[in-house]
Amino acid sequence: TQQTKIKIKRGPKSCRKLKETRVKSEYMRLRQLKRFRKAEEVKALFQSNRRRIEGRTELLNEEWSKLRIQSIPLSTTSGSLSSKKLCMVESGFPSFPNQAVAMRPLTTVAGIPFMYSWSPLQQNFMVEDETFLHNIPYMGDEVLEQDEAFLEELIDNYDGVHGDREGGFINDEIFKELVEALSQYSDPEEEEEEEPSERTENKEEEDEKGMQKTTPEGPEESKVGFFKRKRRSTAEGEYKDLLEPPSPVKLPPLCTPSMDGPFAKSVQREQSLHSFHTLFCRRCFKYDCFLHPFHASPNVYKRKNKEIRMETEPCGLDCFLLQKGAKEFADQNMQRSQRPRRRRRQPRPSSSCGPTPSGSGEEGKEGDSDHETTSSSEGNSRCPSPAKMRPGEEGVEESDSPPQWSGAEESLFRVLHGTYYNNFCSIARLIGTKTCREVYEFAVKEMLIHRVPLEDGGISPQKKKRKHRQDVNTPLPDNSSNQVYNYQPCDHPEHPCDSSCLCVMTQNFCEKFCQCDRECQNRFPGCRCKTQCNTKQCPCYLAVRECDPDLCMTCGAADHWDSKQVSCKNCSIQRGLKKHLLLAPSDVAGWGTFIKEPVQKNEFISEYCGELISQDEADRRGRIYDKYMSSFLFNLNNDFVVDATRKGNKIRFANHSVNPNCYAKVVMVNGDHRIGIFAKRAIQRGEELFFDYRYSQADALKYVGIEREINIV
Amino acid sequence: MAPQKHGSGGNGFYANSGASKAANGGAHVSSGVVMTSVKRPKMEQVQTDHELFLQAFEKPTQIYRFLRTRNLIAPIFLHRSLTYMSHRNSRTNSKRKCFSVNDLLFKAEKSKVDQESHNMASNLQLTFTGFFHKTEKPLQNSENEENSVSVEVLLVKVCHKKRKDVSCPVKQVPTGKKQVPLNPDSSQTKLGAFPTLVVPSQEFEPSNGHMVKSYSLLFRVSRPGGREHNGVTTRDTSMNVMEELSNRKKRYCSNQDDGETIFVAQMTVFDKNRRLQLLDGEYEVSMQEIEESPVGKKRATWETILDGKWLPPFETFSQGPTLQFTLRWTNDTADRGTAPVAKPLATRNSESSTVDSGKPSNVKPPHAVAVNESVGADLPVRREQTHVEPRQKLRVYYQFLYNNNARQQTEARDDLHCPWCTLNCRKLYSLLKHLKLSHSRFIFNYVPHPKGARIDVSINECYDGSYVGNPQDIHCQPGFAFSRNGPVKRTPVTHFLVCRPKRSKPSLSEFLEPEDGEQEQQRTYISGHNRLYFHSDSCTPLRPQEMDVDSEDETDPAWLREKTVMQIDEFTDVNEGEKEVMKLWNLHVMKHGFIADNQMNQACLLFVEQHSTTIIEKNLCRNILLHLVSMHDFGLVNTGTIDKAMAHLKPQKDGQEQAKTQDDLFKQTKSSKDTFSTSDLRKLKSRKDCLSVKDSASLFAIKHFGLVRFFYIFEQF
Repeated sequence: TQQTKIKIKRGPKSCRKLKETRVKSEYMRLRQLKRFRKAEEVKALFQSNRRRIEGRTELLNEEWSKLRIQSIPLSTTSGSLSSKKLCMVESGFPSFPNQAVAMRPLTTVAGIPFMYSWSPLQQNFMVEDETFLHNIPYMGDEVLEQDEAFLEELIDNYDGVHGDREGGFINDEIFKELVEALSQYSDPEEEEEEEPSERTENKEEEDEKGMQKTTPEGPEESKVGFFKRKRRSTAEGEYKDLLEPPSPVKLPPLCTPSMDGPFAKSVQREQSLHSFHTLFCRRCFKYDCFLHPFHASPNVYKRKNKEIRMETEPCGLDCFLLQKGAKEFADQNMQRSQRPRRRRRQPRPSSSCGPTPSGSGEEGKEGDSDHETTSSSEGNSRCPSPAKMRPGEEGVEESDSPPQWSGAEESLFRVLHGTYYNNFCSIARLIGTKTCREVYEFAVKEMLIHRVPLEDGGISPQKKKRKHRQDVNTPLPDNSSNQVYNYQPCDHPEHPCDSSCLCVMTQNFCEKFCQCDRECQNRFPGCRCKTQCNTKQCPCYLAVRECDPDLCMTCGAADHWDSKQVSCKNCSIQRGLKKHLLLAPSDVAGWGTFIKEPVQKNEFISEYCGELISQDEADRRGRIYDKYMSSFLFNLNNDFVVDATRKGNKIRFANHSVNPNCYAKVVMVNGDHRIGIFAKRAIQRGEELFFDYRYSQADALKYVGIEREINIV
Repeated sequence: MAPQKHGSGGNGFYANSGASKAANGGAHVSSGVVMTSVKRPKMEQVQTDHELFLQAFEKPTQIYRFLRTRNLIAPIFLHRSLTYMSHRNSRTNSKRKCFSVNDLLFKAEKSKVDQESHNMASNLQLTFTGFFHKTEKPLQNSENEENSVSVEVLLVKVCHKKRKDVSCPVKQVPTGKKQVPLNPDSSQTKLGAFPTLVVPSQEFEPSNGHMVKSYSLLFRVSRPGGREHNGVTTRDTSMNVMEELSNRKKRYCSNQDDGETIFVAQMTVFDKNRRLQLLDGEYEVSMQEIEESPVGKKRATWETILDGKWLPPFETFSQGPTLQFTLRWTNDTADRGTAPVAKPLATRNSESSTVDSGKPSNVKPPHAVAVNESVGADLPVRREQTHVEPRQKLRVYYQFLYNNNARQQTEARDDLHCPWCTLNCRKLYSLLKHLKLSHSRFIFNYVPHPKGARIDVSINECYDGSYVGNPQDIHCQPGFAFSRNGPVKRTPVTHFLVCRPKRSKPSLSEFLEPEDGEQEQQRTYISGHNRLYFHSDSCTPLRPQEMDVDSEDETDPAWLREKTVMQIDEFTDVNEGEKEVMKLWNLHVMKHGFIADNQMNQACLLFVEQHSTTIIEKNLCRNILLHLVSMHDFGLVNTGTIDKAMAHLKPQKDGQEQAKTQDDLFKQTKSSKDTFSTSDLRKLKSRKDCLSVKDSASLFAIKHFGLVRFFYIFEQF
């Protein structure tokens, strides 16, 4: 039967062969095209870069020429230097004239040590673990055997090497183009397609065979075969998917339209503030900061201290307070809103955010349907977009609320209501387009509508991130006291900080970022020094912490924001009061760091900045660095390592010495461990800086094994 | 340089001291050495080894020889001011203590009075120190009778020409004849014993018939010792003029004849304008030998003819014949013995006489004829009596080591000159200290020796010649001197001008071979920025005017600003209004580096203040409000701040709204950059902002240009 089958398939096979070659050539052509296009692109980029650089250089040179300074000497063919030294090329043939060009001597320039490129940084920068090896480290032109073994082992540590083609040889773009190109020849194919069932079966079989005999036919064939199969099985759908143009207006479900835009929708408070709440870093005061992968869980932004400035005075003649019953309404809601505050330690504190039970009822629910039911007046918005018009949804109230509320206004009201409660005068002022009377009326209406049972929103779903951020799993700490773990704000609303608290477990103090009570036993009280906080008299200094500008109010850490002169000497890292450092070839090895101005003993010199990487990542990177014999890894705590290889500051060039003039100290600075480099003795200007890398005796080149010198009390 | 002929009487190293070394420089090492440790057996190997040894020592020797010459011509410092060379310093500071400014005036006035008093009223008193003429032998065989010459002094009066006279009439008045010691040793003669001659003042009075035009003294020295026959070799003196005066060579005269030799010299007392030419002082007059007529050469000049050759003027003083005397104008003829004997100014190496003091024939040559104006007792008479006392002749063995083998030993007898720069150190300690400090290309180790000292000389392998001066001096291009555009800044470098370290008592033990563990604390005497710095980003040299700018001063480098913007933009579920606010706020926080919760109220207000135009431009007011409310939710700002911030935005927004052409839609759909289309003053401002962002982008591009290029190359394959 086998034989007959094969015979039968002869016909289609030759046809298929033809098609295969066609596919193959098409594919190669497309790839070629793509490569050319890419090369062109790079060329264009390169040239635009050149132009930019030239422009910039010109600009700089112009600036320089205006200054009273030495200009950069241009190596022009100056006549004065024409010492008539010529470089001649003489040829034996008379017909060729001798060629001569003036020799121009160049002064020797002393070489400088080797340096890999790096980016400047003044604060640590957290990066994720690299599961892919970005490049295979260069080990010299001839690869030694031991290097080869090393590389193999290295690659084993990673999931793969960047640039390896994952998922086959074809990507969506080429696939699409290929199908389009092939559709021109579709005529013979069509005939075959008439008997799809048999064909697919055949194909399958044949492909298997093709796979088996890849060796003689070469990889191309198998590729095509593979491609074909893929195309048969899933290609159709994929292709259709790809053909669909990505809809520009389509937004992910959780994304609310811009409040200032024309498409603003009426949504709940939580939704309006969702992006701000989730992306804001409470510790860096930035959105999506570089240092703290963890962002607020909902109760982090729960208000802690409510200050409600109730305006008892009517704001004007038309103030809502002059209306009948308005004052009572406001007062009543005030009480209500305060009630949940007293019950703060209740299981679902998120619900207490809202001023009224109805205020945050809908949180967590997504989708349009929600809005359509809850915000009845949305249809009245002036939104010009026809798609958003929902005339059918108009509520009954439309008749008795003549002022129309747009979606933005409604959302804004809900947001502000959560902050200002029934201070409708302020709300109106902030909304800007409505009077307080209107606001009041709207509030009354909202109250009626939202009197629905509380729905447990719980934790609203996390923002979808553009990339996966690794969860930092804090390992269970050892009992040994010299282990230092990274600080993470604790968040256990039900019970006070006890042995189950993260901070207590990791032997860290609770910081202002923790969710625990201000009077928590585990909180560090700060200092009340009136001196410089540079002796062990200062509790902060003793605990190897920098003074907290929100805790230590007397030492000066909390004021003089504008000047570099602070009475407290224990807040230099956070303020970045580093010394001016200079870079020059070292007297010892490679590059070195030199100080511009003299410093006193124990003065802060600079922070050792770099990428904050996990210990695992440091192990992987360290392997390569060890091989290169140059490492910028610095152990920060049990969880993290600072790597100044790719990003850093000038102190990264300070060399190791057993008799150093500087020392490194890991200090807790407002919840972050940071590495400060301090003067071990008085240092003269122009001296090279050294500190003890603390290599262990055994593996002086195993850079990660840096022993630390702090013991947090 | 003319070929050098060594003195015939020289015995090795010793005789080679002084001028010959000066002329020969460091080459003497190979010339006046005695081979010691050369063994027969492996001749070739020894030969090559020796070659290598010579090569190793040649270069530093040449360098030090060059440096010596340079130091003679343009000295950087004076050896006499070095602590360990203090004995070279002839003056004391003792008078400084009682110095007052008034003394200067007093002194000046006094000298003026003195000068005036010189006029005809006083007598001219001449005290002869001696007649110096070098001969081959110090005339030991011919004892006393030969040790003096007779000096006759004539006062020559040149009178005014009378009408009939063809030439000026000349009158010679003999004033006296004295026996003057020949080649006396200045250190041994007693002060009072010198012969003195007085020319009475009336001789200078103009009343003697003729009108006298000028007066001059004619010295006539008759020496019984016979005719001079000079064995002086020709020498290249152009280089060592300074040395010649002091390092005189022995000259060898053979006195074969029995006849009397007569030397003459003439000096003007009053010139024709009746100006006094000879002031009080010590004089040394170069004498001219004459044979035929005693008063022959009236126009003897300083240049003397020797063997038919002109010698430079100063040459005579080292060779003689010279007559030394002290001249005083005095009113009192009785105080003849009190004529002070002043020591002439010491030249660089003049103290060499003490070394040779054992030899009676060596005479200390004074500097010039008319030096030492102030004869008074001002100059301290610092005779090295201590050195003169009989002392064991010190031998210094220089042992040159190469590859830990002694290669060569050179002996210096009683000679403490530095072999490289011919500096007379005069003490073994000083010599060693000098060698150690000035010739650091070698290592010198002192080894005590029964006959004196042994100095082991080896090449200093650790010498790196590292530069410790201003880095700008090396690194600035030579052409810079002319390409400067006005005054330029220089790298600040601190040079120690005065350093007073704790000095230990000078002891020879410090030159012994150092123990292993005992490392010398090398101190740099130039601190500060004595190196060239580089920009950390581009590795280009940092010019001095760029020193004060710290590239790390900004807490938000351009790439980081770009990065935060990109990161925010990458979110898919954050709307564009939120994104804009977040970017603005992030850049704001990064720029100002806020660190404390209690800064946030201020930060928000500042934010609104600084970015109000942009906020309104991009229509972000409500998003700002959301941002502020969110901050409030985090407990970072209070409602007052929200109110204030929004109040700040409100009036501007209203103003803007009026200027706005029409609907929001148009604006919203267009990207934020296109909003510049409507011209407004505020918009121009915001465009400026945008430009700066672009700048940073281009910078970023420059930084990553290398990467792009890499890709480009990659694609070429």
